[in-house]
Amino acid sequence: MTTEPTASTHAVVESETAAGPAAQPEGPGAAGRSTGTARWPKLSMLVRFQSVLGLVLVLLGGIAFSPRHNGAILFLTADNLANIVRSVSETGIIAVGMTFVIIAGGIDLSVGAVLGLAGILVARLMVDGGWGTAAAIVAVLLAGLFFGLVQGAVSTTMRIQAFVVTLAGLQLARGLARIVADDKFINISYGHGPGLAPPSFAVLGNRVFGGVLPVSALVFLAVGVLASVLLNTTRFGRHVFAVGGNERAARLSGINVRGIKIATFAICGLTAAMSGILDAGQLNFANPNSGTGYELAAIAAVVIGGTSLFGGEGTVVGTLAGALLLGSLNNILQLNNVNANLQLVVTATIIVAAAALQNVASRRRAP
Amino acid sequence: MPTHPRLRPFVLAIGLVLLAAGCSNGASATTDAAAHPGALAKNCGAGKKFKIGFAQANNAEPYRQRVNADLLKAAKAYPEFDVTIADGQGDSNKQISDVSNFQTQQVDLLMISPFEAQPLTPAVTQVYKKGIPVIELDRQTADDQYTAFVGGDNEAIGKAAGDYVAKTVLPDGGDVAILQGLISTTPAIQRTIGFQDGVKSNPKIKVIAVQPADWLPDKAQTVFDTMLRAFPSIKAVYANNDLMANGAYLALKGQNKVGQVAIIGTDGLPDPAGGAQAVLNGQMTATFVYPTGAEDALKIAKQVLVDCATSVTRNTVVDTTLITKENAKAVIEKAGS
Repeated sequence: MTTEPTASTHAVVESETAAGPAAQPEGPGAAGRSTGTARWPKLSMLVRFQSVLGLVLVLLGGIAFSPRHNGAILFLTADNLANIVRSVSETGIIAVGMTFVIIAGGIDLSVGAVLGLAGILVARLMVDGGWGTAAAIVAVLLAGLFFGLVQGAVSTTMRIQAFVVTLAGLQLARGLARIVADDKFINISYGHGPGLAPPSFAVLGNRVFGGVLPVSALVFLAVGVLASVLLNTTRFGRHVFAVGGNERAARLSGINVRGIKIATFAICGLTAAMSGILDAGQLNFANPNSGTGYELAAIAAVVIGGTSLFGGEGTVVGTLAGALLLGSLNNILQLNNVNANLQLVVTATIIVAAAALQNVASRRRAP
Repeated sequence: MPTHPRLRPFVLAIGLVLLAAGCSNGASATTDAAAHPGALAKNCGAGKKFKIGFAQANNAEPYRQRVNADLLKAAKAYPEFDVTIADGQGDSNKQISDVSNFQTQQVDLLMISPFEAQPLTPAVTQVYKKGIPVIELDRQTADDQYTAFVGGDNEAIGKAAGDYVAKTVLPDGGDVAILQGLISTTPAIQRTIGFQDGVKSNPKIKVIAVQPADWLPDKAQTVFDTMLRAFPSIKAVYANNDLMANGAYLALKGQNKVGQVAIIGTDGLPDPAGGAQAVLNGQMTATFVYPTGAEDALKIAKQVLVDCATSVTRNTVVDTTLITKENAKAVIEKAGS
């Protein structure tokens, strides 16, 4: 979201490979802010993994308050746990992409609309275009990546805040989805021949391992692991933290700030498209209005996960736990027949508590 | 908004029978136990407690709030039923989770108004195949894996409104306008078709303008304001819902033409902001109730769970009611009690 002085920009673009990592302090969250960490090890650890801790608490609460049937704890049944992961898989995958954007200091409001657009595109390609499953999925993933890339490029090149660019992106993606869909829902029926989608696409709505684990949950967990590795072990990941932590310092140390920012938006667009494909696969149906409000659910998971909206701090593991925390909480409240409106109130409380905890820790760590 | 595209063939057949019988319920088919494992309850009988889960499509819509209120109110007559409502929040993914959660909770009967037919079908079918009876309310899933369906009929409601305009409002004929709901939605299409069919009974009536206002009062106000200027001869307007009828009223008010054009709405909710109150206030000439069917659904639930019925009515069409100034007060009071 920070604007860049033009003079320094293109020098940075060229020097990316040369000086980059050596000049950088190592490790996530380190960019120029790590001085006080040692004095507050407990609090910083708590914040780093606040959502994991929160998730454990919610799970324990779930077990304690779960309705029981013939001695069996309904909350802990394999079906129920799988349902929880499934219910957060789409917003969770988006939240993983969103984590990159937010750590780099940006925000992406377009993801819910991109989800809708991706669902419509994949359905159109297969149902009307006669494309195969793999080709359609790859094409739509690339489209999502491209959409994010353009948003990132517009934001960095024209120096418009990411909030504004992606707000426009939201409208654009929703409009395109409705145009491509011709204002109609697209039913996906399987088979061979015109008007039918290849049966292999139906796999996305299936469950594996004895019909327990939904494929969408599996994809969610896989995306989480991959993203975590990317963010924590690669030079790209370190650069994302550096850009979000202190953009000026990052630029001076030779990091291609613009490139890194664009890449985070591309990753986010990719995850949104992936969710859209899963959405269509799970529902056998594409609706241009799918995913409305998902951007906010994703941001909530990221914030609960301990990622700072100011950038420079955060973990994918935290985001995963944040998403699962929300899902588990809703599940246990619902199993106990707690009023749906109260569920929203509880979620609100948790978001504020998580952000407050994050904030306190950041302030104490600052020199 | 309510949708049930698959119902129409049934309705045409049943409709006449119902009218003749003068009753609101009719049997189209009974349920075959072999083909439908979930159709009837395995654990049934008097003196037991039963958990009923209702997966509502979206609590945020006024009509659906009325369904919930009607259901909870009607449930008071059945102390053996413990009814829980889950809010699908207008999102099929959320509603699928709701259905799965009810299955985890091991409810004795599932009621559902699917937000979208196709996406909810596998989840509902799974519950049904596990042997849990399913009653679909207002909207149907895309296959026949359910115990019973209860709902209104949009085309019949539109036709009733058309008949009313043709015979009572404008017996001497005149120009009529239609404000349509969001154009791709089934209720908007069916109500409009029904209305156009209904006014045909009076050849002196001419439908002079049909425009969508997307179910929204502000849009309806703008659209109808323009219509009135283009066609000052309009004597009556039919709106696919009461919110748009209210928009038409505001347009009339803006042009100082209140009372010169009859406004006919649809939905007839008895809430303070609903159509029944608008009719009572004289803002609308009449409205046609889109029924919630909650009472009928619970009656079927009782047959299945308490009476251990061996067959139940598979499709129940709940009749519409005409609300005019004469009965508006009674309708509101009945709902409130």
